[in-house]
Amino acid sequence: MSALAQLQRAFAAALHGGALEAAAPRVRAAGVPPAERLALYRRNVRATQHDALAATYPVVRRLVGEAFFGVLAQDYLRAWPSRSGNLDELGHALAAFTAAYAPAAALAYLPGVARLEWACHECALAADAGALDAAALARVPAERQGEIRLWLHPSVRCVESEHPVVAIWEANQPGRDGTLAGEAAAECALVWRSGGLVRVRRVESAERAFLHAVCGGASLDAAVSALGLEDAGRVAAVLARLGADGVIAGFTAGEDAA
Amino acid sequence: MAGRPPRPGAGIGLRAPHHAEVERRAPDVALLEVHSENFFGAGGGELDLLERLRARYPLSLHGVGLSLGSADPLAERHLAAIERLVRRFEPLLVSEHLSWSSIDGRHANDLLPLPFTRATLDHVVSRIDAVQERLGRRILVENIASYLEFGESTMPEWEFVAAVARQSGCAILLDVNNVYVNSVNHGFDAHAYLAAMDPATLAEYHLAGHEAGPFGLIDTHAAPVAPDVWALYAEAVARFGPRPTIVEWDAKLPALDVLLGEAGAAEAILAGRHLAVRAPEHVA
Repeated sequence: MSALAQLQRAFAAALHGGALEAAAPRVRAAGVPPAERLALYRRNVRATQHDALAATYPVVRRLVGEAFFGVLAQDYLRAWPSRSGNLDELGHALAAFTAAYAPAAALAYLPGVARLEWACHECALAADAGALDAAALARVPAERQGEIRLWLHPSVRCVESEHPVVAIWEANQPGRDGTLAGEAAAECALVWRSGGLVRVRRVESAERAFLHAVCGGASLDAAVSALGLEDAGRVAAVLARLGADGVIAGFTAGEDAA
Repeated sequence: MAGRPPRPGAGIGLRAPHHAEVERRAPDVALLEVHSENFFGAGGGELDLLERLRARYPLSLHGVGLSLGSADPLAERHLAAIERLVRRFEPLLVSEHLSWSSIDGRHANDLLPLPFTRATLDHVVSRIDAVQERLGRRILVENIASYLEFGESTMPEWEFVAAVARQSGCAILLDVNNVYVNSVNHGFDAHAYLAAMDPATLAEYHLAGHEAGPFGLIDTHAAPVAPDVWALYAEAVARFGPRPTIVEWDAKLPALDVLLGEAGAAEAILAGRHLAVRAPEHVA
């Protein structure tokens, strides 16, 4: 092992919770104990990583409070150390971590909220795509309509929870006081990007089944059956809204794409 | 570039809370610098914004996460993301830090100091070679602020920095605040540091604020540029000539006008009007 690798390993061990003494002999004291110098770096690293998590999970942080979030963040970082020079990747496993995190066991809705916030984070950074050409979709001849497959925008995410995650998320946006309106029920959140902004709304079970079918590569006919609506007008309204919002970004009909 | 031609003027480090206002007001700055990692996404509103700003301003892509000085293999995915940005935005400047952040794949997401030895120098030079080769252009590397020195260092920081540029052919992004902070923290003469730099390798200056720490000074980027740093900057400009200059402010971000005021003060020094300049009063 090179001297540089050796030094960096000792330094990293000191930063990430190991004994400061391992790296201390390699540090010049110059009037300040080496352990104090290393401790300053340790605090800086923790603060940077904490702040990155706080920026990705503002609602989780608000729900548990600043002090609890600080402990949660440090416990998370021990279980899921940063593996990237891009801090946008740091919080990828926070939802899974909170689901098994004993101190948060009483907050059964927390992992769902964390999944929703991670979905928003991914959504903001996802690839761009064009908009659905509704006129072209309407022009597909009747005999080829069975071949139509819709594409969702790359930013679309669905988050299902046994808890009212959308209501909780909405009630904890800046300017809201955290009070939930309505009764606590399972909710599915649809997350998508429109005009460069991340949008979140609740979807009912029929629309959720439709989106799942589309995601799974089902034909438009099969996806519409999953929607389970008899009324053609209501089917058209659901499709029109998803198209206008930019959730549906395009379609293929056999060989053609639009 | 549709807008102003590149000139060795001053600009600001652009941070997300100022994005909308900078776009709306289009302030008269010479260039904008952004952190490369903030634009690693595949798409989305931030990249659209950068595209629009790019049409108006020369751009500097400033990386904080490549871990150039690490003993780990160069982070391929990270470098590919930088390359994608460089190809798309054709920035005026592309820079990284003379530091390390990761070992054995674990990141500190911080700019950590290197031991200044012959072996480290060889390693860093080979890494810069690889990055310059990959990007097909000269990069700038920035001297960092540090809060400790390693016993195994065999040369002073300024000698190391100058040798990195000389041996790799990269340029130096001289962070004047970091020179000052380190001169206080490690007890050296900041003027001697400047004297060791080859003017031909100096391609950009950084300015930022520091604050007193538990010992020495901390490079917090959360305060106005200090009077001593303005003086050292004026000395650097007099010695090496004007270079594109960025004022960085990352934490406790002030109103955009405060940041623009700092850039204006840097601009005055670059234009040789520095005798009239003191620390700008509106940020005091």
